[in-house]
Amino acid sequence: MIELRRYVKEVSQGEHDVVDIARKALASAKSIDKEHAYFNTFADERFIEEANAKPKGRLAGVAISVKDCVCVKGVESTAGSDILRGYKPLFDATAVERVWKQGGMIIGKTSQDEFGFGGFSVNIGKGYRVPKNPFDTNRSCGGSSGGAAGMTRKAEFPHLAIGESTGGSITCPAAFCGVVGFCPTYGRVSRWGLIDYANSLDKIGSMAKNVRDAALLIEVMAGSDPQDSTCSDLPVEQFSTVDGDIKGLRVGIIKEAFGEGVDPAVAESVKNATRELEAKGAIIKEISLPLNAKYGIPTYYLIAMCEASTNLAKYGGMRYGAHEKLEGDFNTYFTKVRTAHFGDEAKRRLMLGTFARMAGYRDAYYLRALKLRSALIDEYKSAFKGVDVLASPTMPMVAPTFDEISKLTPLQNYMADILTVGPNVAGLPHISVPVSPAHRMPVGIQLVADHFKESTLVRTGVNLE
Amino acid sequence: MNFTSDVVIGLEIHVQLNTVTKLFCRCPTVAQEPNSATCPVCLGHPGSKPVLNKVALEKSTMIALAIGCAINPSMQFSRKTYFYPDMSKNYQITQFELPLAEHGNVTLDDGKVVRVKRVHMEEDPAALVHQGSADYTLVDYNRSGMPLVEIVTEPDMTTPDEAREFIKKLMHIISYLKVFDDANGIIKADANVSIKESGYTRVEIKNITGAKEIERALIVEVQRQHGSIKSGENIVQETRGWDPAVGMTRSQRKKETEDDYGYIIDPDLPTITMSKDRVEQLRALVPELGGEKATRLTQQYKIDAVDASVMAKERELGELFERVAQHVDPVLAARWMRRELRRALAAAGKDVSEVDEKLLVELLQLIDKKTITDRIGQRLVDRLVQEGISPAKVVKEEGLAAVSDESAITTVVKQVVDANPAVVAQYKAGEEKAFNFLVGQSMKALKGKGSPAVINKILKVVLG
Repeated sequence: MIELRRYVKEVSQGEHDVVDIARKALASAKSIDKEHAYFNTFADERFIEEANAKPKGRLAGVAISVKDCVCVKGVESTAGSDILRGYKPLFDATAVERVWKQGGMIIGKTSQDEFGFGGFSVNIGKGYRVPKNPFDTNRSCGGSSGGAAGMTRKAEFPHLAIGESTGGSITCPAAFCGVVGFCPTYGRVSRWGLIDYANSLDKIGSMAKNVRDAALLIEVMAGSDPQDSTCSDLPVEQFSTVDGDIKGLRVGIIKEAFGEGVDPAVAESVKNATRELEAKGAIIKEISLPLNAKYGIPTYYLIAMCEASTNLAKYGGMRYGAHEKLEGDFNTYFTKVRTAHFGDEAKRRLMLGTFARMAGYRDAYYLRALKLRSALIDEYKSAFKGVDVLASPTMPMVAPTFDEISKLTPLQNYMADILTVGPNVAGLPHISVPVSPAHRMPVGIQLVADHFKESTLVRTGVNLE
Repeated sequence: MNFTSDVVIGLEIHVQLNTVTKLFCRCPTVAQEPNSATCPVCLGHPGSKPVLNKVALEKSTMIALAIGCAINPSMQFSRKTYFYPDMSKNYQITQFELPLAEHGNVTLDDGKVVRVKRVHMEEDPAALVHQGSADYTLVDYNRSGMPLVEIVTEPDMTTPDEAREFIKKLMHIISYLKVFDDANGIIKADANVSIKESGYTRVEIKNITGAKEIERALIVEVQRQHGSIKSGENIVQETRGWDPAVGMTRSQRKKETEDDYGYIIDPDLPTITMSKDRVEQLRALVPELGGEKATRLTQQYKIDAVDASVMAKERELGELFERVAQHVDPVLAARWMRRELRRALAAAGKDVSEVDEKLLVELLQLIDKKTITDRIGQRLVDRLVQEGISPAKVVKEEGLAAVSDESAITTVVKQVVDANPAVVAQYKAGEEKAFNFLVGQSMKALKGKGSPAVINKILKVVLG
């Protein structure tokens, strides 16, 4: 397959029949989707229209799949929830608009856990399909950006995926599907047009077959946006083209991420990768992050659920999405719509999140989690005084089978995020890069850098390809 | 709290700011058709995000400063969650933990201080438009996201009359700051009312619109509580609604505990920090308020106290006065501006801002130097306001200068006396009115250009 950046250059020079490529890509994506369920919606019309418009720019002629929670104008965008069925946004997310302006063509909306509520893409909305792992259809793609990761693996045409991570939803599926998942610093990419899960944690990122392609997509999407108050004004570095010189780069191996609960075969693959980095001149150190190991999961889930439970309040069948027959008072009506159209995990998080912010519990749960979050950030900040990059397995296991997942309790489910929640809670940029497989399934190494040091991740990551 | 008064009242006043756009989006605050001033943000569409209107923040800060509050160096917005059909997101963006400002006060005329607990910003929900007896209600989202400032007092008022005076003072301050649309802006209040006989059991009255209605609702509620006690009923802690049509409060819900809105910090809106410098810059923009200004004007310009209070109350008139007073006798300027200029403006339906300052100075100087009589002056004020004429030019072209030549006046007065022998006879018989008639006739003959004082003097001489 043609190298993506060479392809873009050739498209700009008019060397390709983009419309023909687009038609074939769409047909191919649809046939992959039949077996693997990577898409909630195809944007047929818009995709071909964009191909016809002679795309130019840094993503000219590249098919861009968009996680369903990111709004695409005129294309059904539901965040994988039945309650938003039929909702076609009036505007493009800033990330989508910027991609489109650089010649990217929106092919469709990829499948995910409902509103991002999961790590295996099995907590899908009512009536949606579970995406299947590209290496073994009995296994999960990971989540919540499951469709994005699977499609990135399977696409035989120039393709990049817009993903989104709240607590690990980019690096987890990237690791399980054997692709690169790149989640930038919180505030690096505008959230305007992102259907909220937990606003203080949500980050739009990218997935690609290699580190530089993933970095390129972030570069295009990043930068200040007056429509998102939390979006950073810092200038965007050209980090997709940084060199791969890691002589003297200090890599911290997170001690707690290689111990109990982590599949030894997965740990070994990742350890091997760090040895490769060492061989290329990096200095390997062991580092301990005890607070994150202990409090990462509860801190993440409390904040995420509290915010989510307010974000989901707006879905009640008033103006968009699912409606029901108007009967009874407004309370009866809202309850009917929400009962009928939210999935089980959404209901669980709504109840837990509402509970944790109610008077009497608020201090013990919500406010305490906010304080812990500051402590966790401080722990990372002091770690970055001694190292440039932190390394760990992305997930403690390879992609589990659906049968295995069905036996997990909710708590065991949440515990699977133990290695990804840390950088997400702290808003740190992180990337998952495929390393040698274990049990014949992909394994990812997760690299974490300090805020706005995306370039360090690219510099390190390219050494593992 | 240890209350001792017969009645205890606390207020939460909501003032709608007169910004051009809404609090968190760029929709206009003024709209004709229902649901025409809406966008994904104020409609709560998935993926939309709020961005704070900086002008609203500044205007709110000025209100807080004007009532002596301390501005919090950092403040946050919170989400107040409850389900209601007028809420586009089913949460309201307001301020909870860290409001804009705290600890202010407003002094009433008798010197009593009403403490202000806090001042915060919040968005208004949409408006429910009920359709008479129809079994449905419409929602107008034009109001969704309108900028409100909420001023919360301590329970310091002891009569409905004090509450009315507090609101009046507050509204005066707000109108003076030009942060409120006096014509179309809306002021709403929630009031806490309790009486001694019930052991100060708190009753909250929600959603009273307009200053007059607030006093009325309070009077009615105090009467109701006293009545209940007399007839042996208990006052219960509850929320009541005010029905202005029938002039009654009605129970909406009894509550055992405080409302639980499950507040969280709104993660879409970063913490706002307000530096001391910025606060001082805004403080400098807060104009001198009514009371202090009246005192200063009286002392500085030695003008009449009534004139001073009017100049202080009407901010633009007061500012115009201080500019005009640089060129004309302030006492005369104040008197003329309060009486004649305001009368002429009201008659013409015009605003002080439309008055040409130079022409006004010109006119007042003509009056001051007695180049024209007061009566001509009055006529010219109207023409200045309506037509924007130059008084000096008109006086010259139309020959309106006062007749200062006493012999000319004497001639006219003699003619008047000769022509009215019957009236002269009445005067000589002791009728004062007859004298006034002769003065009037002389003025008329002089076309208003004769000074009444001179005419009086000459007429007395002529009549012997």
